[in-house]
Amino acid sequence: MKAAALGGLLALVAIGIVLAFSQAGDATAAERTDALAAQLRCPDCQGLSVADSQTAAAREIRRQIDELVAGGASDDEVRAHFTSRYGQWILLAPSSPLVWLVPFAVVLAGLLGLATWLIRRRAPPAVAPLPLTAEQRQRLHEEAEALDA
Amino acid sequence: MRALRWLLVPLVVLPLAWLLLSGFGRDPRELASPLIGRPAPAWTLTTLDGETLSSADLAGRPYVVNFWASWCGPCVDEHPVLAGTQADRGAELAMVGVLYQDATADAEAFLARYGDTGYPHLVDPDGRLAIDFGVTGPPETFFVDADGIVRDRQFGPLSAALMEQRLASIGVAP
Repeated sequence: MKAAALGGLLALVAIGIVLAFSQAGDATAAERTDALAAQLRCPDCQGLSVADSQTAAAREIRRQIDELVAGGASDDEVRAHFTSRYGQWILLAPSSPLVWLVPFAVVLAGLLGLATWLIRRRAPPAVAPLPLTAEQRQRLHEEAEALDA
Repeated sequence: MRALRWLLVPLVVLPLAWLLLSGFGRDPRELASPLIGRPAPAWTLTTLDGETLSSADLAGRPYVVNFWASWCGPCVDEHPVLAGTQADRGAELAMVGVLYQDATADAEAFLARYGDTGYPHLVDPDGRLAIDFGVTGPPETFFVDADGIVRDRQFGPLSAALMEQRLASIGVAP
């Protein structure tokens, strides 16, 4: 029951991630500029996106995104325009999907480890009966017959 | 099993602790610039003296591009290093300063106070050149060789020793 609830929760999280990454429909140029500005780091701020900042650099980057979008550049091309200057640092979120999956994999592995440890601790160790040697079997027979007699 | 548990500490915990400690202790802006090994951005801008200067004018010589601002403290520290390089090596290389988000009057006051560098300073009104170079904050200095390829970058102030080291990358011998 608990496992089912946990599975459901993980499935919901996974669906949420997929939805967050899939671009919904056709966005207008202004919407695309806003979305791209939110993904780029403001170079002269501390931990703010270009969309959240009013510094000179952020304003100029927004102007350049506008210009690129109006010129027909794809989202990837706009991001590449800035990563070719600043490197991956300019992206607020890492572009490799691996980075997003690793924490979930680690948590899952931890839960599995915990579960097996709990189960193993609760159940008494199952000790398989040792097979008897021919000599022991013979002795068992003799003692049983002696009891019967 | 017990031995394995004791091995777990040095094998897993220590490398992880080292990764986190070294990662958090570093400024991510110090990462290698993607410009290194690629042609330097081209520009045509007006200098503080009101003259038009273009990157094409510097072609054929190694040059140094220094982004600075009058409001930047470490820029004061490296100012003598830059002026000294221009004085000693001005014949071997070209140097340009670029104002990073600074008013021209403030920049001129800075040069009047700390001494003129002897090389031109570009006014970059929209900060477009700073974005083309991927500058995140002054001082930041780029070293371009005679073929126009960016060879090195200094993030933060230049000391005399760092200047020598970076200049060697663009073929300017000590």
